[in-house]
Amino acid sequence: MSEPLIGPREWLGSTGDIGQFSLRVLLDVWSLRVLHFFGETVRQAGILILSSAAVLWIQAFIIGLGTCGIEGAYFAQSQGAPAVAGIFAAWCDLREAIPYAFGYMMAAKIGTGIVAEIGAMRINDEIDALEVMGIDSMAFLCATRLLAGWIVLPFIYAAGMGVAYLASYIAVVKQVGAVSSGGYLLVFWQYQNPLDFLYSMTKAMSMATVIVLVACFFGYTASGGPVGVGKATAKSMVLNLVLVTLIGMLGTQVFWGTNPRTPIGG
Amino acid sequence: MAQIGGETIGRAVLPVRNALEETGEMMLLTAKTVSSALRPPYLYGSEFVSQFLFTLRICWLPLMITTFALSYGAPGLQAANILSVIGNLDRLGGFFVLAAVREIGPLITATVITGAAGTAITADLGARKIREELDALQVLGVDTVKNLVVPRFLALMIATGLFNIYAILFGLFGGVLAAVVHHQPLGPFWVTFFENTSTVDLWGSTLKTTIFGALIAIICCYRGMTASGGAEGVGRAVNQAVVGSLIAFGSFNYVFTQVLLATHPNILTIR
Repeated sequence: MSEPLIGPREWLGSTGDIGQFSLRVLLDVWSLRVLHFFGETVRQAGILILSSAAVLWIQAFIIGLGTCGIEGAYFAQSQGAPAVAGIFAAWCDLREAIPYAFGYMMAAKIGTGIVAEIGAMRINDEIDALEVMGIDSMAFLCATRLLAGWIVLPFIYAAGMGVAYLASYIAVVKQVGAVSSGGYLLVFWQYQNPLDFLYSMTKAMSMATVIVLVACFFGYTASGGPVGVGKATAKSMVLNLVLVTLIGMLGTQVFWGTNPRTPIGG
Repeated sequence: MAQIGGETIGRAVLPVRNALEETGEMMLLTAKTVSSALRPPYLYGSEFVSQFLFTLRICWLPLMITTFALSYGAPGLQAANILSVIGNLDRLGGFFVLAAVREIGPLITATVITGAAGTAITADLGARKIREELDALQVLGVDTVKNLVVPRFLALMIATGLFNIYAILFGLFGGVLAAVVHHQPLGPFWVTFFENTSTVDLWGSTLKTTIFGALIAIICCYRGMTASGGAEGVGRAVNQAVVGSLIAFGSFNYVFTQVLLATHPNILTIR
């Protein structure tokens, strides 16, 4: 307990290991070696839908309601332009808050779940058993999970965005009620376009890729009994938090930067 | 047939019943923790200090990076974009009262505390539970709530409240960078920030994060102390602790924001 779980030095040390590991997993998917285990991929995709989708949507609803809806409505009022709530909600939901909320929740739910599962397999020598049976354990455990995430998460994300839109609508129009339904929706849909959605999706899927890779790394290299699995889970969560935030910031800077892509102004 | 129907319904409501039971047990643990913290003897001093220092040590770097990066991206660049559309980019500082002090500072502090300190607490307590150390302590007559939960509860509460101040500071640095990127002079940023901020905002933010800390500590301690099922059990406990904490403080934040804005309407007036 006295030694710090995570320190800057340790981060730098394991960055190289994580990079090497991630490259191998990505190569397994890229070279389609993962398709040897397509059944396992589909099974993992099913697990993602059944166990994680509901939690991700609940998180999207809470953030869409509180942060984007309520605060947006009050912010718009304080600027003397209640109709601006539509702009605030559209940008907050689509560009910033929901990618972050999804990223944090994916790190919490999917990431730590993967570490717990693969870490326990490592501790119980199940991964060694896989190797002895001649199965490529990295492709079987990590590449399948990555591919499953890529198959399922875009759809969960798109549906979650819908949930957040609904929540913001409820908060701004039904609860605060400073703008009419038509006035809100007009501005709301004017201030977004398919390209924005594609950028937002790119952000969220980069987060998902990093989260799955980091989680697989910490699970695959866990050691030291039940304590080790717990520590690896905790470490992966901290690293994922930081990486999700950095990806979110870089995405905003690259995609929108100081060019807001608005339907008005120059 | 009726039998099968009943079973199906039973299985459908089982998760809800489990969730309600767990919530009830967490509330009992909260009550026990508070009463045990107030009642003498106060044996938890040294454990409290070590837990507090541990939280400070593992949280400061992730907190610094995340608050700065998030405030620069989300409220900084995007809000500056909205304000430049309306044509009052000089009011970015006023927006940061809402962003850094009222919403993003507290939420990001709680997220980092959950991810770094909360997971470590669950992993630690969960491992002790799996190795039956907690049972051994109870056999020895040691009160696990007083000696393990209370110091963590107090340490997380105080650390979260204090870290919030730093989150606000680093969030403001993010906003300053965004203003610089938009080629704005910094004078209006600081003027509108200090004009619009109020004592209510600051104590509301601090109170909110202190309660976040209490929620996180209780959920993480509960999940750790009820871990079962070997190595995977500890990992699963950490997973449930993080998910539960995120949902809990997210929902509480919604209620608190509503109550604060409704009871103190003067913090909404624009200055």
